[in-house]
Amino acid sequence: MSARRIAAIARRIAQQFRRDRRSLALLIVAPIAVLALLGYVIRDEKPINTRLGIVSLGGPADAPIQAALNAAATQAGVPVVDVGTDAASGRAAVQAGRADVVIVLPANLASGVATVQLITLGEAPADDGARLQIVAGLIERAATQGPRLTIEHETIYGSASADILDTFAPALIGFFGFFFVFVLTGISFLRERTGGTLERLLATPVRRSEIVVGYSAGFGFFATVQVALILLFALGSLSVPRIGPVGSFEVGLGIANAGSPLLAFVVIFLTAIGAVNLAIFLSTFARTELQILEFIPIVIVPQALLGGVFWSVDSLPDPVQAVARLLPMTHAIDGLRAVLLRGAGMSDGTLQIDIAFLAGVAILFVVLAGATIRREIA
Amino acid sequence: MGTGGPAGPATEPAGPAIETHGLRKVFGAIAAVDGIDISFPAGRIYGLLGPNGSGKTTLIRLMAGLAVATSGSVTVLGTRMPSRPLLARIGYMTQSDGLYSELSVWENLSFFAAMSGQPDVTAMAEILDVVELGDRRGRPILQLSGGMRRRLSLACALVHRPTVVFLDEPTVGVDPVLRYHLWDHFRRLATAGTTLVVSSHVMDEGDRCDELVLIRSGRVLAMGNGAEIRRQAGTADLESAFLKLSGVPTRGDSQ
Ligand SMILES: Nc1ncnc2c1ncn2[C@@H]1O[C@H](COP(=O)(O)OP(=O)(O)OP(=O)(O)O)[C@@H](O)[C@H]1O
Ligand SMILES: [Mg+2]
Repeated sequence: MSARRIAAIARRIAQQFRRDRRSLALLIVAPIAVLALLGYVIRDEKPINTRLGIVSLGGPADAPIQAALNAAATQAGVPVVDVGTDAASGRAAVQAGRADVVIVLPANLASGVATVQLITLGEAPADDGARLQIVAGLIERAATQGPRLTIEHETIYGSASADILDTFAPALIGFFGFFFVFVLTGISFLRERTGGTLERLLATPVRRSEIVVGYSAGFGFFATVQVALILLFALGSLSVPRIGPVGSFEVGLGIANAGSPLLAFVVIFLTAIGAVNLAIFLSTFARTELQILEFIPIVIVPQALLGGVFWSVDSLPDPVQAVARLLPMTHAIDGLRAVLLRGAGMSDGTLQIDIAFLAGVAILFVVLAGATIRREIA
Repeated sequence: MGTGGPAGPATEPAGPAIETHGLRKVFGAIAAVDGIDISFPAGRIYGLLGPNGSGKTTLIRLMAGLAVATSGSVTVLGTRMPSRPLLARIGYMTQSDGLYSELSVWENLSFFAAMSGQPDVTAMAEILDVVELGDRRGRPILQLSGGMRRRLSLACALVHRPTVVFLDEPTVGVDPVLRYHLWDHFRRLATAGTTLVVSSHVMDEGDRCDELVLIRSGRVLAMGNGAEIRRQAGTADLESAFLKLSGVPTRGDSQ
């Protein structure tokens, strides 16, 4: 393979992008705009109401703080409901929908440091998050003097630390990493086939492998920039101070990322390389640009539905699950969730499987793409 | 450039630059090229003349190694085609322009130069002057006229100074003055030892070639220079010679 020819192909793709600002904008601005919109919708939604239950395990010794909590709740307009006298009855009340948040005051409250347990349903993490913020404020106000309280969050369903955006963002990053690169490469390579430039290219001593690698490098570069910016936006959080009439605001979603952004990048990069080469391969089966768009319901939508964007793969019926596990998007999303939510590192077994699978898919599609670029086009 | 340097010995093989034997290419029920035997010595201009669909493009693609023959063989510069390394010494101008429309004139030229071998800025500037696009280097292709695109397409096929050149209707849409200059350039290349195969259905270009091959339905109707073909057909010009050889009754034709 000639590095010079590969570089020439990659550079040409960059030049074409430079002239086609709209596609470049689509690649970068569109995913960030969608993420931002989603973040806004999810985060700024107001919870309908917060019905508070208080359970005291410490008996009469807790009376002062319980009274202080009641007072703070009344002051804040938070209704307090009766949920019984132990943690189990508190949980039952939350599960039955009689209370939204139950505070469990521990038995050893008087003795220095104590842990207060907050119980929520965990079905709508965004609502829970907002309610917890309110309740934490109440606790802070009620416990101005006395023991230092740490808060522990327990949910009936789901995991306590996630908000919807946290679980949704890795899925969207995986989806965008695949989608835009797929569409742009597909159309670009189709034009190469129909516009006569591929014929011309094949009349030079270029190798098929150089074309495929050059394309992967050219589109891979833009996919890299795209993904890096999306990750930066999703994970970062930058406070922009007030400038004149423009109020202060936050840039970035500040999504909790437990793991290494670099590892997240590896996952998404492999996904994008697979998408570039799948698009080259499938462009053989399209005659027009419109037919490339027709691949979206065939290639993209099933992956979005089965890959874990909207519901987890584990919740799918068994036969469907088996299919889902063969889709690159499933592993991209699973890998990103493992890294970003669970903080998985390279020693993590499922992440290893995801990365190995994505690398395998990328190699398979590179080979398939190479096979469709034949000197004999007819 | 890796292992893929130009193939073939440093000294030219003594045989013809291009040779075909019983060359056939079948698409379904149609034989686009139906048994063609030619032998083209180097350093001359060969014209492929024939009506639409006669098989000119298919024959060129077979000779350039872009299509695989159904049967028969093609040898270029002593190498059996298709041969990827030999493509470094072949220039092919496709019938459609095959240019990247977002890129500028210069970017297109340097891209194809890089694909064909080591890009040479002097050669690039020279060939742009030949096709009279030297003052339009920075123009995007979208802003060029049809004839200008055709000229750039020609430049892209010649930029790496190939030894064997296939030009599929290179002068379509090119104005008469520039057409005249281009044929002068083709002649200069041939004099310097380049072998050119030029397809056309404009018969008046036939007399610019050293040898003509008239094709119809994938078969050779006649071969020879313009004068020989006119004599063979007994007509005053190539156009009527072609019509007569095709069996089309022409004015003053007793058949
Ligand atoms: N890829 C293909 N698949 C099927 N048939 C083809 C293909 N390419 C060419 N043909 C057929 O082969 C025949 C010769 O076509 P070709 O393009 O070689 O003609 P041509 O002499 O170059 O015509 P023109 O003057 O219009 O360029 C035509 O009948 C054409 O329909
Ligand atoms: Mg043709």
